[in-house]
Formats: sequence, C-alpha cells, structure tokens
Amino acid sequence: MTAAKIIINEIKGYHRFVKFLIVLVSLGALASLVRFVFGLGVTTNLNDTFPWGLWISFDVVTAVPLAAGAFTLGAIVHCFHIKKLEPLVRPAIVTGFLGYSLVCVGLLLDLGQPQRCWHTMVYWNPHSPMFEVSMCIAAYTTVLFLEFLSPVCEKFGYHVPLRLLRTIEMPLVIAAASISTLHQSSLGTFFLIAVDKLHSLWYNPLLPLLFWVSAMCAGISIIIVEATMSHKWMGQPDESELLETLAKILPWVITAYLTLKLFSLFALTEGPLFNRPGLLVLFAVEMLGGVIAPLVMLMNGNVRENNRLRATAAWLVIAGVILNRFNVSMFGMEAPGTFYYPSFIESLVTIGIIAAHILFFVLIAKYFPIFEHHPETVDYSIPDNFHKTEKGHAVHGKVAGEA
Amino acid sequence: MSEMNQDFNKSKAFLIDMTKCTGCRGCQVACKQWNQLDAEKTEFFNGEGYQNPPLMSEHTFTRIKFRDYEKNGQNEFAFYKEMCMHCNEPACASVCPVGAFKKTKEGPVVYDAKRCIGCRFCMVACPFGVPKYEWSKALPLVRKCTGCYSRVKEGQKPACATTCVSAITYGDRGEMIKEANRRIATRPEKYLKKLYGAEEAGGTSVIYLTALPFDELGFKPVTKRPLPSYTWQALRLVPGIFLTVGSSLSLLSWFNHRKERIAKEEEQRKSGQAPKEES
Ligand code: SF4
Ligand code: SF4
Ligand code: SF4
Repeated sequence: MTAAKIIINEIKGYHRFVKFLIVLVSLGALASLVRFVFGLGVTTNLNDTFPWGLWISFDVVTAVPLAAGAFTLGAIVHCFHIKKLEPLVRPAIVTGFLGYSLVCVGLLLDLGQPQRCWHTMVYWNPHSPMFEVSMCIAAYTTVLFLEFLSPVCEKFGYHVPLRLLRTIEMPLVIAAASISTLHQSSLGTFFLIAVDKLHSLWYNPLLPLLFWVSAMCAGISIIIVEATMSHKWMGQPDESELLETLAKILPWVITAYLTLKLFSLFALTEGPLFNRPGLLVLFAVEMLGGVIAPLVMLMNGNVRENNRLRATAAWLVIAGVILNRFNVSMFGMEAPGTFYYPSFIESLVTIGIIAAHILFFVLIAKYFPIFEHHPETVDYSIPDNFHKTEKGHAVHGKVAGEA
Repeated sequence: MSEMNQDFNKSKAFLIDMTKCTGCRGCQVACKQWNQLDAEKTEFFNGEGYQNPPLMSEHTFTRIKFRDYEKNGQNEFAFYKEMCMHCNEPACASVCPVGAFKKTKEGPVVYDAKRCIGCRFCMVACPFGVPKYEWSKALPLVRKCTGCYSRVKEGQKPACATTCVSAITYGDRGEMIKEANRRIATRPEKYLKKLYGAEEAGGTSVIYLTALPFDELGFKPVTKRPLPSYTWQALRLVPGIFLTVGSSLSLLSWFNHRKERIAKEEEQRKSGQAPKEES
C-alpha cells in the first residue's frame, strides 16, 4: 500500500531529524522541571519591572495566531463551501490542536500557582481579558480535539462516534471560528490596559481588531507553508493549485490589515511616535518586511504560481506577525533604560515546545489519516437524516480500512 | 462599570503632604512591623541619595524616595512616599482573571492570596508599578500594600498613618481633597497648585501635595481616565461579536449547504434514483 510505503520512507528519511526533535523535547521537559523545582525567580530573567517574558510573548501571544490556520481554513472551506481546499483542513486542524495544547503548556509554565489553574473556571471576572482568553482557549482546545477525533476514529474504524462527530461537525466549525475571533482579538485587548506602558507605535484602541486580522493573515500563510513543506519533505501530494487559491485570498486580507493599521496609527494614536529610534527600527522592519513586501510579492501572479516564491511570501507574513507580537508584548513594553532577555532555561523550554509541535505533527501524520484523506468520498453537507450520513460513512469506512 | 457605583468621597483616603515629610522613614518601619515583612539588606547611596531600599518589593510595601534638588542656591531634599494608590477603579482588579483584587467600600484595594493563580497580569496593568512578586519562592504570590485593611475595617488608621507625626492625614476622601485645597489656598507660595491622585487613573485613595513639580519627584504621568474602561470598551463587545460571527457563519453555511443538497437531489432524480425526502 502506498500509505505503508510512505511510512517506511518517512522513517528512513526522517529518522535522525525525529531523534533530534526528541532530544530537544526532552531537554525542554527537563528545563520545565527545573523551573517548577526552583521557581520562576531563579530560573527566569523576569522581575518586578518586567513580569511577562518570553513564555507569554512567544508561547502564548505568538503561538495563538500561528495556530490560527485551523479556524481560518475551517471557515473558508465549510462555511463558504470552497470544497477544493478540503484536503488541507485536516493538517490545519492537527496543527491548530497541537498549537493550542502547547499554548496551554506555556501558560501553565508561566503561572506562579499552576496547580490553581482551575480557578479561572470557578472564579469568574468577565472584566478581565485574561479570563476571556483562558475560557476561549479551553473551549477551542476542546473543539479542536473533537475535530481531531475524526481521523482517530477513522483510523480505528469506529463508526458510531464518527457519525456523531459528523453530525456536530458544522456546529463545531462555526463555534471554532467564532471563539477564535474572540480570543485572537482579546490577546490585543490584554495590552489595552498598558496605557502608558506600550509604545504608541503599537498602542491604539484598535489593537484587538488588528490582532484578529493579522491572525488571519498568519493562518492562511501557515497553511501555505505547511502544505509546501509537507509536499517537499514528507512526500505528500502537491497541492499547489489549492495554494494558489489561498495566495489569491491572502493579499486582500493583508490589504485590510494595512489599511486598518495605517488608519489607527495616524488617526487614533495619541502619544509620540518617533521618540524611540530602536523601536522605530523594529516597527519599520515589521511593516516593510512582514506586511508590504509580501503584499507586493503576492500581487504578482508569477509569485503566486511559483511554489518557492509563494512559500517565501508566506514566510515573510509569518515572520511579520511574530515580530509584531514580540513588539507588542515585549519590546514595545520595555521602559527606556530597562532591558529584558530570556534566560537559558526560558529559551530551552520554548525551543522544547516548538520541537514538540513539529515532532507530534510528524508522528500524527505518520500514524493517522490526516493526509490520506479522501474528501470526495465523504458527504460534507449538513446531514438531513441519519440515512444519508450512514451511507457516506459506509463508503468512507471502507476507504479508511483499506488505507 | 456596573458594580462601581460606590461613593468615593465616603471611602477613606491618604493625604500625603510631602512638604511636611522629614524623611524619617517611620512609615516604612511601621509598615514592616504591622505586616511582619522581612528586612532587606540595604545600602546608602545605592540609588539616589539616602534612599533605600532601591525599590519597593515583596518585602517592602512602602518606602520613601529621596530626591536632591537645589532651591535658592541651597541643596535640599524632596521626599515622596511610594505605596499602592488604592485606585477608585483599580486596573489590577479589572484584569485579574480570578478576581483576586477587590476595591473595598472602605477604600483599600485588597488582595485575596487564596484565589491568585500567579499570572502577573495585575503587575502589567497597574499604572503605578505597585504589585510585586515573590520571586524568591517556588510557588510565588503577589504582594503589595494592603491599605491596612484589617485595621481600617475596625475603624483604626493604617499603621503608616498612625506612626507619621505630620505628613500623613487619613480620612474620608472628599474631606482629604477639601483639606488639600484649603492648604494650597492658605499657603499658595509653599505648594504646587496640583493634587496628584485626585484624577490620576480616574482618581485614587492616595492624594499627594508637594512643593516641587511632580515629575521631578519621580511621579509617573498617568492618564486621567479610569484604566478598566480602556479594556472594557473592547471587552463589552465580546458577546455581540460572538453571536454575530456565529450566526452569520451558521446562516452562510446553511445556505451554501442547502444549495449543494438541492443540486445533488436534482442529480439523483435525473439518474433515476428515488429522491430522498426533504427534511
Ligand atoms: S495602584 Fe496599582 S495595585 Fe494599587 S490599586 Fe491601583 S492599580 Fe491596583
Ligand atoms: S497574579 Fe494573581 S492577583 Fe495578579 S492578576 Fe494574576 S491571578 Fe490576579
Ligand atoms: S497602609 Fe499599611 S500596608 Fe500600606 S503602606 Fe501603610 S502601613 Fe504599609
């Protein structure tokens, strides 16, 4: 079978890389153990003037938009019914699920009292953006988990839960998209409270909206990069035609972002913009490299049709979003004269988390039908009665069984 | 904010007259004693002038900041008691996901250590940089001036206000503001005509009077608008956005799926199969 061949090829080709990832993940786990034994004060470079560091900036604020592929694509495919993008949905959901699970890990690591994390579910403070984000992340991780169950059930041929999952699939997709809208933007709301702390290059009342739109840019770009990479290194089928469609949607979203950003910058910002040369450079790099350059590239048809160039533009967008999140949550928050950089342990943990993401993705792709998924055999319309869904599943079950 | 219909004129406030402060640090010591805070190893001239410890911390809820300045060719000191401002609408309470901070009706903003999950959002949010963290512990909590709530609740004054001979007055916020304005009016040559804390961050329960421009003493310029309103203007849209996005996506997908279903049924009918019944 081709699937078996793919697995064997994969183990042959990626054995060393996977091993390397396992080493990184173990180092990260070890480092987080050290953090729990000795406490935040000893193991991190955080202090009273800089209470949030790399773990919030990267593991939470940056990882959440990077996991946005799932909700963007889910909405595009299922709600707008652009069926040809279907094969990309599952990998996106797996990435999203992994991303969010690791965000939870990052949050837990950063909490001073991680054993009390359940408090957010009991003591509600609806005025807190953090409350909202933690609720959303919990809900969204559950939704993604349920969506992720589909390939798992298929793999083992569980038909009854599959039918159930199929029935709730559309509500799940819609829930996922609406919840994401909320917490992607609420991450921006976090920093609205830092009125006199976050520099005006980033502080403005539209921050939540900007976070949301840029998360969509990141989501689409991640899908492009992911599909290109899994085609190149994991022997997956070439999806370029689909990616071209995505690359056509992307410039529109980027333009929307750019318009909003410029509007908020010139019409809504109150403080001085040009008083910190260092921040100005970061801002320029973010806007020129991460927004304008990919926009110009993607407006050109030749770029959209070329695998390498298209992926490059997508990478630029991703880098731009990453830099934006760091600018907002780290660089822009540093008062003049203070300087924070992550400690060795902090960096090790974050590297471990990134490695874990890639490792789990590779492993899941290896053992579950997330790429070998044949959407044309599945009836994705909203089920009208059980008869119809059953028929769809009988066919599908066979396909999964053979694979 | 809905639960904030408290009459702040009636809640207690500190009036701190920096022109009367002699820099004796009695309040610092009283605070340590009452709250049983550990001593910190300090060094003179470690920061500016005789100021020590260099910063507020988990062990120091209040401290006197020293500033050297020259007045009429003579070297003088200016002092500034740094402590939690007990904001009327505290940013710390607004952002805490588990509601560990609370503005009491008596005035002090209190912290419930049993709820805190240690996310440190309160530290990021506080415009005055007040909440401090127990960085020395494996399971750290937040620490800050309690406004001596346990004393105030019983009708007593805070420890620091009790110790201080002249510079700290404690009483109803409305009265304190009146008193401050009276002092400015009777000795206009002595005081700067501005109260710090009357409007800062939407008003606080600590009001300062000085002779020197506030920024020279190290007071941070802070917005006049209550901080919770900045995030609330976005957060209050949350349920609406959720419903709008949710329902429009539902409609959109129902519509798109229906189109497809009808097309499929049409096809089935044409190919001679028995059509499925409509639902
Ligand atoms: S000064 Fe800071 S810690 Fe004190 S009540 Fe205001 S926001 Fe809270
Ligand atoms: S650190 Fe504690 S008190 Fe501060 S915001 Fe987080 S949970 Fe609330
Ligand atoms: S009010 Fe109490 S806790 Fe606050 S500074 Fe004064 S003595 Fe210390």
